[in-house]
Amino acid sequence: MTARKDSAIDPPHYESGAIKEQIVPALQTAFPDDILDVQTMPVDETVTVVRVEGVRQIIRHLVEELDVLHLSTITGQEIEEGIELLYHFWRGSGLTLRVVLPLDALEVATVTDIIPGAAFYEREIVEMLGVTFAGHQDPLRLFLPDDWDGPPPLRKERS
Amino acid sequence: MRRITIPIGPQHPLLKEPVSFLLDVEGEQVLDSVLRLGYVHRGIERLAQERSYVQIVHLVERVCGICSHVHTTTYCKAVESLMGLEVPERGVYLRALLCELERIHSHMLWLGVLAMNMGFDTVFMYAWRDREIVLDMMEDLSGGRVSHAVNVIGGVRIDLDEEQRKDMLARLAQLEQQVLRAKNVVEHERSLRARTEGIGILTPEQAKQYCVVGPVARASGLDMDLRRDMPHLPYSELDFEVITHDAGDVWARTLVRVLETVESVHLCRQILENLPDGPVSVRAKRRAPEGEAITRTEAPRGEVIYYVRGDGSESPARLKIRTPTLTTLITLPEQLRNVAVADVSVVLSGVDLCIACADR
Amino acid sequence: MTTQEITKVTQPSRLGTLRRSIVRWARRRSIWVLHYNSGGCNGCDIEILDLLTPRYDVERLGILKEGSPRHADVLLCTGPVTRQSRARLAQIHAQMPEPKWVVAVGSCATSGGVFQGGINVLGGIDQVLPVDLYIPGCPCRPEAIIDGIVKLVELIP
Repeated sequence: MTARKDSAIDPPHYESGAIKEQIVPALQTAFPDDILDVQTMPVDETVTVVRVEGVRQIIRHLVEELDVLHLSTITGQEIEEGIELLYHFWRGSGLTLRVVLPLDALEVATVTDIIPGAAFYEREIVEMLGVTFAGHQDPLRLFLPDDWDGPPPLRKERS
Repeated sequence: MRRITIPIGPQHPLLKEPVSFLLDVEGEQVLDSVLRLGYVHRGIERLAQERSYVQIVHLVERVCGICSHVHTTTYCKAVESLMGLEVPERGVYLRALLCELERIHSHMLWLGVLAMNMGFDTVFMYAWRDREIVLDMMEDLSGGRVSHAVNVIGGVRIDLDEEQRKDMLARLAQLEQQVLRAKNVVEHERSLRARTEGIGILTPEQAKQYCVVGPVARASGLDMDLRRDMPHLPYSELDFEVITHDAGDVWARTLVRVLETVESVHLCRQILENLPDGPVSVRAKRRAPEGEAITRTEAPRGEVIYYVRGDGSESPARLKIRTPTLTTLITLPEQLRNVAVADVSVVLSGVDLCIACADR
Repeated sequence: MTTQEITKVTQPSRLGTLRRSIVRWARRRSIWVLHYNSGGCNGCDIEILDLLTPRYDVERLGILKEGSPRHADVLLCTGPVTRQSRARLAQIHAQMPEPKWVVAVGSCATSGGVFQGGINVLGGIDQVLPVDLYIPGCPCRPEAIIDGIVKLVELIP
């Protein structure tokens, strides 16, 4: 059979205003203590600042109740206050969860049992920034060679 | 029966790039597989922290040779959002023209490689010969066959005059004939269908769980295409269809990619016929202000996402790239389960691996 | 020994010269290449693969692309060598039978190219193997690769 547009199993339901108008207010109602701030970022991205302890339950709520399933990637970067993790989701427009880990407590719960596709992204952050994801089944090296003995490459060198 | 391990890669006739699969085989069936990436890891994200915004355009083009223009487009869009620049319409249309030409080029390259790995050398030769028409068009536009250096921060550095535009339309007509012939072969050739049907199946639930993107996701029934879902110029003014299929096997992926090539030819024609007038770029400063930006584009293999953070200097503080092949690589152990050893080459070719993109 | 006897001993026999010239003719007219990407972006690799296609068609020059190092005469190598690729590159070279030649295709294989200074990059094929011919370009055009291989033929004794 030839491919047809109406043979799609999931009819498109990605309205572009869904994140700002429905998803973020729903999160703020469900987790009032864990959501610290809501910002915007170009291009058409809504950023929600969350507490470290609330990451796992917020992501579970997003995936299971609010039908935000697509995790684009997890970015990690070193800033003054510590290591910042950005979880980038997409549903019609972008939703990013911003989490800051203090340098003396670089640990956050894993989300690979909720979203199996996050496995590679978490492994990359483990080896590039030295963060621990509690509960991750398989934190082996992904891109760096097995005999890499230097500091995590994306950390700033401290003299 | 004894279990043996068959290594595929890093050097293997199937693979154009180094990647390592260790297949756990019993008899003729693959039971499990272990994937090892990193052979092409060049540390681009770290190199980007030491180079200026302009030098990074050159660096990012070499993340991957096949989808080089998409990487520079996404990066330039992110830096332009950071700097608050707006690219003129003609520049946006020319960027999209090259994006679509690159999509045609990538899919025809993939068709040839799939056929070669199945032993069907005739289709390989025809697909790569017709791909030369696209490469000639890209060379006339930009000066390079594979790496174009068309994007600058603020727009593009090329332009088309009326005679070139008519010449491109004529060549596009010639290309369309060849693409339709390839579509005819793929749809009606029984040996190609017999070798690819029912192999490497990815169910829609698995595709959603692993956050798969691109033609692999569309072949499993997920209706996602950033050209339509994220309203932006010029796609919001053009008319095209998003192709999906519900079988989820390598045959579905073949059909989706070939039909997408036909759609891309229509898109190129629309872009060339509706090219707006005006400048092609705006001037950009050397420094970007403090701030962050995230951009996404639909590359030939799916969604490419870039995150840029500026700190007021000439270099970005962080550049993060996630390419679509990483989302399909994580599904390969699932796809290779219970596949016969002779079909491993079909499964590996069916996902259109671009390891250079994945490893950066 | 008289001068005549020494001259007779040191001149090679006519059969040996004939065999040597047949071998030389065959080697120069059928170069079997092995392609390995040691960490490059793929641009040079698709141009190398393009040589087999009907437009450039190097098979008419006797060049065949092989899958196994044990069948190859020339190693066409691209990419700045990454740390993980180094061991495999050295192993492939060791597995090729003599006489063998190494051609570094592309700017990355010549010097590391745009990735010089990267944390995981060694910087060119000549950090690992002895290179006989360098073909620069980013990426190399197929015409340049054919020109390079033709120049390599002149190096074959």
